[in-house]
Amino acid sequence: MVPLAPSDQLLVNRIRSGESEAWNELISRFEGRLLAFVEGRLGRRSAGEDVVQETFLGFLNSLPNFEDSRPLESYLFSIAAHKLTDHLRREGRRPTLPLAVGSDGNEWEPPDRGRAVSSIMRSGERKGLEEEAIVEALNEQIDRLRGRGEWQKLGCLELLFVRGWPNRDVAIQLKMSEQTVANFKFEFLARVRTLVRKQGLSEDVFPELQEND
Amino acid sequence: MAKPLTQSELEAYLDEALPVDAMARVEKALRDDPKLAKQLIAINGRRDAGVHSLGEIWRRHRLSCPSRDQLGSFLLNVLSDDVAGFIQFHLEISGCRTCAANLHDLKSQQSDEPAVVDNRRKKYFQSSAGHLRRR
Repeated sequence: MVPLAPSDQLLVNRIRSGESEAWNELISRFEGRLLAFVEGRLGRRSAGEDVVQETFLGFLNSLPNFEDSRPLESYLFSIAAHKLTDHLRREGRRPTLPLAVGSDGNEWEPPDRGRAVSSIMRSGERKGLEEEAIVEALNEQIDRLRGRGEWQKLGCLELLFVRGWPNRDVAIQLKMSEQTVANFKFEFLARVRTLVRKQGLSEDVFPELQEND
Repeated sequence: MAKPLTQSELEAYLDEALPVDAMARVEKALRDDPKLAKQLIAINGRRDAGVHSLGEIWRRHRLSCPSRDQLGSFLLNVLSDDVAGFIQFHLEISGCRTCAANLHDLKSQQSDEPAVVDNRRKKYFQSSAGHLRRR
């Protein structure tokens, strides 16, 4: 897992100890990119600033639970994405999911409200370990592709996994055969699967690894 | 007829991680097709049960995103063609909104009025500093 950079760790520690200069520094460093992210979706500056403001408050409120193993920027963007989602729901732009299949669909609650807390608590640590292992496996593959200058393959895998495009669309976009895309995917999953097995993790919780087994 | 949405696209939608136009497409589809909401609920259910998706983890950790320094070099046009080509692809085809936001911010640093930026930062600080002491 990409750890928190030492300079970010220091900054977070200073904020935790209540140092206002450190808090100001974090705001100055990240507000511009967070605003660009939010404004790009909302299309309005003032609403964007409100969401960024909520993001910073959310960060302070969640600081006791912030895991130092996580990069600061990714963490801030994930809070911004949640605040943005809430804002869009309040505006009625983003449909809210019913609490469970079979509900009438008129509720406007966040999708995670119905989660059984006990199940999340029980699985939290195990999920973290599994995620760490997958991050390591994916990083290894991505670094290998970068090192070899296999940029097209990396782009292909991004479209497949990050964007979720079907093989056919990826093949058209990259002007390659569907078989080539399928081969890239197969090879990639096989390597990740090997690493997961090596770490003794259950493959049941990674359904994609079983697709091409 | 609109293309059917894949499960991975729906997962990315839940994470607010699709490009803006694709987010709007999913939102429209959700309004037009109530079955889609059930698919999203099922995805949340699987997540709650501890099932992982590679895309979800890849996006959350931004594993193939260029660093901010690389984006700066991209702006200055000092990267090799291959690396610059991948960053262009990552921004335009993969549609990474986080990297697009970083790039936009880097560009804005040259053009934004410093007084406007200062006021904005002050506003964020003043509205949150009161919560700082309690951490």
